[in-house]
Amino acid sequence: MDKIKDQPFIDRVDGVQKVTGTAKYSAEYDFPGMVYGVLATSNVTKGTITAMDTKPAENAPGVLAVITHLNCPELPGYKNLPDQSKLADIKKGYRVFYDNIVRFNGQPIAIVVADTFERATYAASLIKAAYAKETFNTDIDVAEKSGKALEGNNFKEYVRGEANAWKNAAVKIEAEYKMPIEVHNPMEIHAITVNWESDTKLTMYEKTQALSSTQQSVMRAFGLKQENIRIITQFIGGAFGSAFNTWPHSMAALMAGKKVGKPLKLMITRNQMFNLVGYRPQAIQKMSMGASADGKLVGITHDATAMTASYNEFTEGIVNASRSLYNCPNVNTTYKVYPLDLSQPTWMRGPGETTGAFALESAMDELAYAAKIDPIEFRLLNYAETDLEDKKPYSSKFLKECYQLGADKIKWSARNPEPRSMKEGDWLIGYGTGSGIFSAWRGAAKVGARLLPDGSLILASGVTDMGPGTATAMTQLASETLGLHPRDIKFEMGDTNLPPGPMQGGSGTTSTLGTAVHNVCQSIKKKLADLVKDNPMFHTEIVHEVKVDDLLFENGFMMLKTDKSKKISYADVIKNAGLKEIELQEDSPGNPMANHSAFSYAVHFVKVMVHSRTGVVKIARCVSAVDAGKIVNQKTAESQIVGAVVGGIGMSLMEEGIIDHRYGRWVNNNFADYHVAVNADVPEIEVLFVNKPDPVLNPMGSKGMGEVGIVGFAAAVCNAIFHATGKRIREIPVTPDKLI
Amino acid sequence: MINFEYIRASSVKAAVEALAKNPTGGFIAGGTNLIDLMKRGVTAPTRLIDINNLPLKQVEETSAGLHIGALAINSEVSANDLVKNNYPLLSMAFAAGASAQLRNMATVGGNMMQKTRCSYFYDTAMPCNKRQPGSGCGALQGHNRMHAIFGASDKCIAVHPSDMCVALAALNATVTVSGPKGERKILFTDFHRLPGDKPELDNTLQKGEIITGVIIPKNTFNKNHYLKIRDRASYAFALISVAAALEVSGDTIKKASLAMGGVAHKPWRLTEAEKFLVGKTATKENFSKAADLAIKGAKGYGHNNFKLKMAPIAIVEALMIATGIA
Amino acid sequence: MDNNCKNEGRRDFLKKSTALAALAVASPALVKAGENDEKIAALFEKIPLNIEVNGKAFSLSVEPRTTLLDFIREQLHLFGTKKGCDYGQCGACTVHVDGERINSCLSLAVMNEGKKITTIEGLANGEELHPMQKAFIKHDGFQCGYCTPGQIMSAVACINEGHANSRDEVREFMSGNICRCGAYPNIVDAIMQTKKEGSTHD
Repeated sequence: MDKIKDQPFIDRVDGVQKVTGTAKYSAEYDFPGMVYGVLATSNVTKGTITAMDTKPAENAPGVLAVITHLNCPELPGYKNLPDQSKLADIKKGYRVFYDNIVRFNGQPIAIVVADTFERATYAASLIKAAYAKETFNTDIDVAEKSGKALEGNNFKEYVRGEANAWKNAAVKIEAEYKMPIEVHNPMEIHAITVNWESDTKLTMYEKTQALSSTQQSVMRAFGLKQENIRIITQFIGGAFGSAFNTWPHSMAALMAGKKVGKPLKLMITRNQMFNLVGYRPQAIQKMSMGASADGKLVGITHDATAMTASYNEFTEGIVNASRSLYNCPNVNTTYKVYPLDLSQPTWMRGPGETTGAFALESAMDELAYAAKIDPIEFRLLNYAETDLEDKKPYSSKFLKECYQLGADKIKWSARNPEPRSMKEGDWLIGYGTGSGIFSAWRGAAKVGARLLPDGSLILASGVTDMGPGTATAMTQLASETLGLHPRDIKFEMGDTNLPPGPMQGGSGTTSTLGTAVHNVCQSIKKKLADLVKDNPMFHTEIVHEVKVDDLLFENGFMMLKTDKSKKISYADVIKNAGLKEIELQEDSPGNPMANHSAFSYAVHFVKVMVHSRTGVVKIARCVSAVDAGKIVNQKTAESQIVGAVVGGIGMSLMEEGIIDHRYGRWVNNNFADYHVAVNADVPEIEVLFVNKPDPVLNPMGSKGMGEVGIVGFAAAVCNAIFHATGKRIREIPVTPDKLI
Repeated sequence: MINFEYIRASSVKAAVEALAKNPTGGFIAGGTNLIDLMKRGVTAPTRLIDINNLPLKQVEETSAGLHIGALAINSEVSANDLVKNNYPLLSMAFAAGASAQLRNMATVGGNMMQKTRCSYFYDTAMPCNKRQPGSGCGALQGHNRMHAIFGASDKCIAVHPSDMCVALAALNATVTVSGPKGERKILFTDFHRLPGDKPELDNTLQKGEIITGVIIPKNTFNKNHYLKIRDRASYAFALISVAAALEVSGDTIKKASLAMGGVAHKPWRLTEAEKFLVGKTATKENFSKAADLAIKGAKGYGHNNFKLKMAPIAIVEALMIATGIA
Repeated sequence: MDNNCKNEGRRDFLKKSTALAALAVASPALVKAGENDEKIAALFEKIPLNIEVNGKAFSLSVEPRTTLLDFIREQLHLFGTKKGCDYGQCGACTVHVDGERINSCLSLAVMNEGKKITTIEGLANGEELHPMQKAFIKHDGFQCGYCTPGQIMSAVACINEGHANSRDEVREFMSGNICRCGAYPNIVDAIMQTKKEGSTHD
């Protein structure tokens, strides 16, 4: 058997499935008699549906059912709503087909079910509705001028020290940064397959990052018993935050599947991906910052304005990074959110921080230049040794190491800091940096473990994986903790019938689930030790009852630390004990982190090339140095940061959701018009991990990394563009027209 | 998508006859644009005549020049040695368009028949005179970053999205067509039209006609470049593109042919700039003067105002790269 | 059913809704075409198709409007080929038709009469993975795995076409396959290695 310790990381355990096309996503289950659901959507932005004509659709070939608000089945979850008339609009929410109110353009107004996808699609196009239209606003600029921002605890001003202290600083800057709506756009279009086994029992194959909460919401809506709802999510084709909610299309599919009594599949369209499954809200941020002549921050004022839907109060921590990233005594932040007549936003990779760090890290660069201090030097001068917001020490913080690692790698000191001073042929060269911060945390999770008579291990948890490689990381962790070869470990996931796992997201999955896996492996070791405590083989002159600490667990064997020749395989232990298997379940609580603040950090260094005449920007090189604690699997961890950086390239150079505010409709809701980075946009991306364990958060010493890899990246690009051209671009994406 | 009648045509004549029998039908070749439009309900032919079996795939040198059949596949034409060696501008334009997969599907005739990518044309819930005459132009006062700066009308400011067509316009190609009234030839620069009062018409094909091929006359252009400026490095439509073909002897420009993409309802020939350049030396100054002439009469509509600045830059850049000055 | 009555009903309805300043969801082109649809559907519901997929010959009937992608997924139940946009804008549906890579979402199944299709399921030789599949695993050329079949089919073709002579060339010729997880550098690594090690034909 190979020695595991020589193998620092393993290939993805689901790699073969993914490269052979056998990995199953939510629209890829096949049942006899499968029918297809397709949504018809509104083409007005706000108002009420006054009449509908569904006859042509109902009479079209192959159509089995049409559901609208007029014939929507009575759902217990809909009936139990609080009295709508007493709620503020924002609290009313939106429930598909519940009423005739249109809240956003492209809102589902009907689901059509037919025996083939083609027939359902055609029939859906025949649905007609008449509307009483109302005036609407989808424009944040208009809302800012004449609208009313939301009120409540989420929107209170934060003041630390003195507000607006920047005004009295020796060096100061004021600038406004704008970013548009961005859309997750995972490659897998959101899809669901539902199979009602009876009126009270179903199995659904759903694209969800959170099995448990999806199960809860279906349970409430349909008044079902939890044990009668099985959700299977074997694979998720990317999500980036778009698959936490139980979205309207899923509810529609559930209703329709129940009505027709046949297995039903619904995949929304790429167009609908832009307004049915969330997006990152547009934001306008004003940064006012001041520093002393010797480069110490005096004050940061961060005023953020963002948007949400009229029916959903979505908030995120846009201003948080400004409170915690630097050692600044005086910080005040405001956060205004305006409800618009659009579909609802949701969390998207690095929610809040990604938006906030674009402004903060751009402004830090501006202030560094204003103070004539190197941008990295400036950050080091203002290094926070404790969390000034929470007034707690850090569980671990290796941000300084990130600055150092990254700066060395890209040869930061060799750059001429003068803007527009470096050239290669017709291309202006610029180097820029930006930092990222994201909360590290650990929640509660359950994991089941079975050590089988052949010595192999099955782990099981109701978590899903949208791509980071959770099963791989958990296999590796179990392999290292229990001393088993990865091929002898199977990690089962993606099924509510398994012990409830954590959600996949928020950069907490590995920390949360890994703790449970670590603990269950430790429990198995204890159990194994217990089973051999009377085994004379392990008895020495000193030790007559062997304990777990006296033993090593390697390659499927337990052996005496002091004499490795005395060993027995796990399989033999189970056999000798006359057991069928060892089965355990670990209930791992979260870590409330009462005495520490915990964050992951990233420092991005970017080399850009800007064509001196056409304004075309090429990202020539990226170096990202990351403090994500101890790395569980170097290979998948690197991929995750590379992927976040690629997202950052899209965010900084091309991604922009556009609404025509006259109609309230999306203008570029497809991959030809909403550009995400393609292969040719992406250079070599070097990822450096500090790879030092966090001693507090979890037993592995890991912190999160899914989000932090994109936080601060767009600022690094804009700062590099400034260095290359002398032009400060404060509105992303930086398309060529902004640089000519 | 509605269901439709599907038939395969075995000859050009049969194809033309099949269309004549069902005027709400259409031809399908590569399908890369038509199927997309049908999925979105922009167009709904009730009969599709599959013309892929017609013998129109040739790429051959004739006495008149290079003859390319209407059904020649984009990637094959692009990689053809005759094209690469003698008409490098065309090869470059192909390489700049779409993706490898789409270039394996798209035909030369289909490329010419592409519809605009204007969002208002594609979204059936928004006004568009091209899709639904009389409904208004959504782009005129809407999001028009990608739209025309030359030759637009108050009915339509859409642009033609092709790269290939820009090169063919610069190379003085001719289109051969066949129809109920027989065969005829159309100058490539006359094939696509400006929107005027009839933006629903993209080109000058007569009812029932089919494109059979293009002929590119032999040329003496020894300096060629196709420059495409876009929002990402590949797989994106042009903000601006420039096809530049020059015959330069010593330092002197003997012939010049220039066309732009992303600026008009058709590939936009820069005739004033061409005239200016002939007899001049190939210098950046002369290229700039030519670009200034080229941009006369251009008009921005708001979001696309940047094109007024980007267009001359692109023209100069393409000429500099073509002549090796850059 | 009497078509005329139905159309009358729709017209009445449209009149009514016009009064309310409403727009029909369907485009005018569709509404117009739809008036003939019943007849057309009756006449041309399905037509025969002979096609070879992954070495297996199929003779069956399909609606003309069924795309090659939907045919492969929903009728042959080969779900390895993915729907990522359905408009030819992402490459997730890439398959080989007679050895050439295409976007199967923009091809009608009936247009592929007599053709040989290879999907991701047909790439490996039994249990033995294709070198490109192995290289994708080794270089971690994917995360969520959804674009992966399309990437791999495209990558194999990229080498066969002779478009893998440099990293830059690969990047350009692989730009028709979007990967939102951002595995591009690893995908290029996988292709360069496979190219270096030789033969890739499917």
